[in-house]
Amino acid sequence: MSRDGGKVKLAVFKFSSCSGCQDRLIDLGENLLSLTEKVEVAYFLEASSRTDPGPYDVALIEGSISTPHDVELVKEIRKNSRIVITIGTCAVYGGIQALRNWMNYQEVVKQVYPRPEWINSLEKSTPVSDHIKVDYQVSGCPVNELQLFNILKQVLTGRRPYHRLESLCQECKRRGNACVMVSRGIPCLGPIMVEGCGALCPSYGRGCYGCFGPMIDPKPDALAMRLEEIGLPKEEVIIRLRGFTSWSDPIRRFLERYERE
Amino acid sequence: MFRGSVYSGVEDDLKSLFNIVVSRGYRVIGPKLVDSVIRLERLHDFNEIPYGYEDKQAPGYYRVVNNGGRFRHGPDSPKRFLYPPELLLFIIRPNLSIEYPRFEFAKTALFGIKPCDLAAINVMDGVQGELGDEYYQKVRENLLLIVENCVEPGGTCFCATMGTGPFAFKGFDIAYTRIGNGAVIFQPGSDLGVDILSELGLRPAEDEQVDRLRSLMMEASKKARAEFTLENLPETLEMGLDSEVYRKIAEKCLGCANCNMVCPTCFCFDVLDEPELDGSAKRVRIWDGCHSYSYAQVAGGHFRKSLYARYRHWVLHKFVYWLRQFGTFGCVGCGRCITWCPAGIDLRQVVRDVVREVETRCRR
Repeated sequence: MSRDGGKVKLAVFKFSSCSGCQDRLIDLGENLLSLTEKVEVAYFLEASSRTDPGPYDVALIEGSISTPHDVELVKEIRKNSRIVITIGTCAVYGGIQALRNWMNYQEVVKQVYPRPEWINSLEKSTPVSDHIKVDYQVSGCPVNELQLFNILKQVLTGRRPYHRLESLCQECKRRGNACVMVSRGIPCLGPIMVEGCGALCPSYGRGCYGCFGPMIDPKPDALAMRLEEIGLPKEEVIIRLRGFTSWSDPIRRFLERYERE
Repeated sequence: MFRGSVYSGVEDDLKSLFNIVVSRGYRVIGPKLVDSVIRLERLHDFNEIPYGYEDKQAPGYYRVVNNGGRFRHGPDSPKRFLYPPELLLFIIRPNLSIEYPRFEFAKTALFGIKPCDLAAINVMDGVQGELGDEYYQKVRENLLLIVENCVEPGGTCFCATMGTGPFAFKGFDIAYTRIGNGAVIFQPGSDLGVDILSELGLRPAEDEQVDRLRSLMMEASKKARAEFTLENLPETLEMGLDSEVYRKIAEKCLGCANCNMVCPTCFCFDVLDEPELDGSAKRVRIWDGCHSYSYAQVAGGHFRKSLYARYRHWVLHKFVYWLRQFGTFGCVGCGRCITWCPAGIDLRQVVRDVVREVETRCRR
């Protein structure tokens, strides 16, 4: 898929985020080495100080857009890249930092920074796809490196990438877990969240807290109703749903209604 | 010793049976307590079977307690072994040659599965029969089926309504019933079962034991019932296609497909291709289910876009279409979809309510 039949030029960019997702790339280990046979890492500040100005074949973008400068930069990246893939829940949904979207921005800045007047950021932390056309999205906090690797392999071999967008429950049951909600009464967001993490939390006996974001056609109303039924106070339900992907469309629309009820 | 006859033994004979099966080279899979849930696991020792534990089951609720009671079945069914959740189908090489994986099919004994799960295997046989899945058939050929009749059905069981339990009548190699006070009634159901059981040196069951067995069966049958019957059920359900019941359920349903996953007969799957950088690709089959949004998505559209249509399809497949496709009901009444539904939806009530709605409409 490279322009001249040579190596594919890959760039990795970061906006408001913790770098955890791009670190997953480095954690690929041997797989990363096999990747470099096909790929030239042209821009990846976390891994190398050598930078290539582009254009790039594939750009991976981590982090949410939260300053006016971010907006300009992400548009530049789009212009300079053939395929843009957002990686991680910040880039895909706005991330944990989108919690500020639910609050008074001025108040938040005052609480966090001693000199709020020095801060030049946007009122809301938003997904990359609010600003540019994104070709593919891989969510997760952090992304699952094998899922990311799989997506990259599909892109590099010229396929249209596909990964399942069904409930985490399915992956959880395929792994052989017993439902933690049913067998232990542990509140779990798995029934509305997307698979892809390997059902990490339920495999260790805790409930899913939704860091990969909503599945396709999620039913937050039904889940909230059920969580309340099994004894979780409404405030707790809200806290859980807000957590990682409060700014994803389905969760946000639900919360806007649910919090008022 | 004869097929179908009943023989009297004690609980120690179960242990001997276990050891005979092991000594005959079978890998034994049976109930085992893992993280407070009774799973179907590889067993190495008879004492791993958690006799004396009871599983409390209700819609969306499962707990195991150590109270000297009886357990039924956990989330696992024989499907996990016959039709694994994830299976490599083949690897295709860059020169387009196809490599099939080589599987070892060990002789396997399912020890102490319940009659509903035995029935589920019979239902799956109907689906995966001659033209069905090769992997399934290979596992199936190597299965020894040892069934424990259910004296105390659980809170979500309705096998008696579906005619699949709580006692097994056919399709097993050995069935046994723990009738209380340490006594066990054994019943060989195949030549192999006769052969294995004859090693135990059992004597024919006495008349009062047979009477006790009968009364236990009658009692258990009364418990494992839903509030509907099979009489005209498919026709009635089909008349209730537009029932409000499905729409109401869709407000509670999460569309998570837990029911599909734990169902001992749900066989739907997705096929995933995993390309490698060298140009080869793996093709993998994984469990999927009709509650998945993407399951009924096809080029150019979607045939069951709303959740109520997906839920309804699941019910109708189990109770209507399956009969036409494979000649049996697709549901065996094990109640797993009820227990393991995180939303606590009770299939028995759904079917009952649709039937009632149709009947009321017809009377008008």
